[in-house]
Amino acid sequence: MYRQGDVLMVPIEEAALPEHVSGLPEEPRDARGRMVLALGEVTGHAHAVVGAGALRRETGAFGPALLHLPDGGRVVHEEHAAISLPKGWYRVVRQREYVPGSVRLVAD
Amino acid sequence: MKGELALDLEAAGGARGEVRYAGDGVRPAEVEEWRQVAAATGAADRAAAEAGVRLAYRLAGLAEPERVEWAGSPREATARVLASAQAELGASVRDVVRTRPWAAERAALHEGLGRAAWGERWGLTGGRLWDTTHALAERIRTGVVEALAETPQDEPAVRLALLDVVLGQHDAPWLAAFAGTGERLAGIAAVARSAGWWWPYEKVAIIAERPVELHRDEAGRLDRGDGPALAFPDGFALYAWRGMPVPATFLDGLSDLTPERIRKEENAELRRVMLEFYGYDRYLDESGAKPLHRDETGVLWRIDLENDEPVVMVEVVNSTPEPDGTCRTYWLRVPPRTRTAREGVAWTFGLGEEVYAPVRET
Repeated sequence: MYRQGDVLMVPIEEAALPEHVSGLPEEPRDARGRMVLALGEVTGHAHAVVGAGALRRETGAFGPALLHLPDGGRVVHEEHAAISLPKGWYRVVRQREYVPGSVRLVAD
Repeated sequence: MKGELALDLEAAGGARGEVRYAGDGVRPAEVEEWRQVAAATGAADRAAAEAGVRLAYRLAGLAEPERVEWAGSPREATARVLASAQAELGASVRDVVRTRPWAAERAALHEGLGRAAWGERWGLTGGRLWDTTHALAERIRTGVVEALAETPQDEPAVRLALLDVVLGQHDAPWLAAFAGTGERLAGIAAVARSAGWWWPYEKVAIIAERPVELHRDEAGRLDRGDGPALAFPDGFALYAWRGMPVPATFLDGLSDLTPERIRKEENAELRRVMLEFYGYDRYLDESGAKPLHRDETGVLWRIDLENDEPVVMVEVVNSTPEPDGTCRTYWLRVPPRTRTAREGVAWTFGLGEEVYAPVRET
């Protein structure tokens, strides 16, 4: 697995993916043609992947998002060093923080 | 629109066959523009806003209002509505100007796209902006009620006046979802781009200025430690720290906090704000806290508090150095039962301690 700031990318075996995944719609890319894994609300800084592939939103055990990189790809961010990902499928998880009574997402 | 997406994908090196896109009919740049509208600050474009109001009346089949008035904030506008005689303003026309064209637009889209595609469209447009914008509007509503209702008995009247409002810039989530469709919302969209909340009545329309200050954290919550997190030109202001409303006077006391004062604060939420403001590192250092556990993922700390669950945090070092060469350290609160730093970091990603093992971190 790979971590860039508050985003974790966990490899998944293709055989372990649920059948309905191929039927999930793909997220559109941003204006720069990138797949956005997570976007900072205020700075607009994004954890984004450049390259061929698809990002699919998913709820449940495989969510919140599934990333497919048939040829591998690079995760970039304005404040973190880029990470190269080998080809395959990834579960994308955003870091959270414990708050008594609830759980909130981390503001990176 | 599909053509534009295809071009983007070619630019990104993606070759593909027939694929269904959730983004059909959605332009990310347009969603981004509406995000900026929702968060816009500074003086309204009064000419554009007034033209938008008049257009909205005409599109709804109404005569234009006799006059358009300006208010320095939603508070001032609401106060003016409360102080005005019904005969002076005329009846509220919100239903005709906003609700009906809105419902018609939504029904047309719903029918044209089908339920599933409409759901996807909302998820990619308005849904992206909804939580933070809705929370902000609700917070402003609460602030207006608190400011204008001197007793609990006054509250219903203030809330009634707020029922007549059209949210202007804070209608951005829905307008993002409607983007690129019919013209019947053109007036409403024009006001949203140019001004804040507005109250449409038969004879008079009252438009409020946008905020002059809006400070939020990366999660979109109101957040400022040295002044109002939201302020309007007439002085109406809201104070908050990481989304939690605080009294204005509370912030004044933050600059000379001591660990002793933090320990003595009885309100658990305010104490949490104090701790965050003071800095966990400073507090840990000055209160002589000892780390519970240390491993290659970070350090686990614990602060015991009276009449509250302990604060247990992992201290994590960012792997990418800052421009000055140092590595930023940050603290993440984890459940109090956490026993090791690795368990804490793994929890923040929803994983068990035994499976959390990044091969590369930046």
